[in-house]
Amino acid sequence: MLNTVTDYQLALQQLVDSALPTGAFAHSLGFETYVDAGVVRDEASFGVWLSAFISQSLSNSDGLGIRFLYEGWDVGELDELLSASLLPRQVREASVKMGLRLLEIGAEVFPSPGLELYRDLVTTGLAAGHQPLAFAVVARSLGVPLPEALAAYLFATVTSLTQNAVRAIPLGQNAGQRLLRQAADGVAAAVERIPHLTPDDFGAVTPGLEISQMRHERQRARMFMS
Amino acid sequence: MVVNPGGAYLGADLFLIDVEVQDGADLLLTTQSATKVYRTPGSFAEQRMAVRLGEGARLELMPDQLIAYREASYRQHTHITVRPSSSLVMAEVVTPGWSPDGAAFRYEEVRLRTSVRVEGRHGSRLLALDNLLIRPPAGDVTGMGFMEGFSHVGSLLVVDPRVDQALADHLHVLAQDHDARAGVSLTRTALGTTGLVLRALSNSTGELNHLLAACTSLLRKRWHGQEPLNLRKH
Repeated sequence: MLNTVTDYQLALQQLVDSALPTGAFAHSLGFETYVDAGVVRDEASFGVWLSAFISQSLSNSDGLGIRFLYEGWDVGELDELLSASLLPRQVREASVKMGLRLLEIGAEVFPSPGLELYRDLVTTGLAAGHQPLAFAVVARSLGVPLPEALAAYLFATVTSLTQNAVRAIPLGQNAGQRLLRQAADGVAAAVERIPHLTPDDFGAVTPGLEISQMRHERQRARMFMS
Repeated sequence: MVVNPGGAYLGADLFLIDVEVQDGADLLLTTQSATKVYRTPGSFAEQRMAVRLGEGARLELMPDQLIAYREASYRQHTHITVRPSSSLVMAEVVTPGWSPDGAAFRYEEVRLRTSVRVEGRHGSRLLALDNLLIRPPAGDVTGMGFMEGFSHVGSLLVVDPRVDQALADHLHVLAQDHDARAGVSLTRTALGTTGLVLRALSNSTGELNHLLAACTSLLRKRWHGQEPLNLRKH
């Protein structure tokens, strides 16, 4: 006999489905700079970038932000921390663009007092509306445990970036699937690591990724907004 | 001038520096020589600096390079509070020190965490949090997405109400003339002021110093009609 599907599982699947219209297809979060330079050009080289991205930006900004929200940090304070620490302008704007869409969709399909509060802060100009926080507010209201929320969010981001790489580099569809399977290890390691990070780790990044995200602003031909 | 105490930082050393630039005042703050961090076995050296700029106050913070030697761990926390009309220019270079086998990146960890808060009449906002972390033992620090094959990193942080996209674009063009891989971006805007961060990778302290000097000279000339800095230290 089938087990009963837990209350939040299908909701979580909807929330992290790549069909959720947040506009993730429009962002490379910096890998397009490497594609333009010919440094990311195939399955292996994109895998290297993806693994660096998971272990730095995705863990220390998005992942840590989600954890702190679950631990009861003030959403307005976390929103400001993200706005201040995402130094590359396009990446900051990407987080807000997708965050605002998620807040809008969330209000229609997963309403909760926590989400209302975050939306009010955004409407009154006291918060920007960042994607990981919008996600965390909804996931928490649905009763998704933190490790599952982290794994789902990180893997969803990895999935849309990989789909974008399949189109941009381009790579074969099967190569995309192999990359995802390989990235699952990086995501699992990040989910293990994030609970041990400290507030000082928030937004910590090694210069390479950040410089490429900044250089994307001035790239001549580009498919992506970031 | 900050004179580096005892010549170098060692394990468990903690240095506290407080700087206040009052309304309308100008300060150029530099170090006497490079900040050297030697082995810090099982521990780390730390510098905590609190900086406060008043209305219309100006600070140029131009330390010599940080040199992290073999088995060195260093944490630098810089908390800067500005007013909307303050002007801050801060430039830093991180260099790996010499090691017996000639390899770069023999240090354990370098963390440079700088936060800038803007204080207005009705409360304050966090404008920028620059959290640079280089941890060579943690993985392929030289590779893609980390140091990109380079050994040195330079950073410029500017906070001033006159900072805008045109200035960022201008500094980007300036950076093209140097043997460095650089990126420039604007921070968020809060309470009427904006920040700008330039980050550059290179294999030479000299090249990064030239690049940062070109940027600071442009700002001195454009905003204050001043000549380029010549600190005549070496």
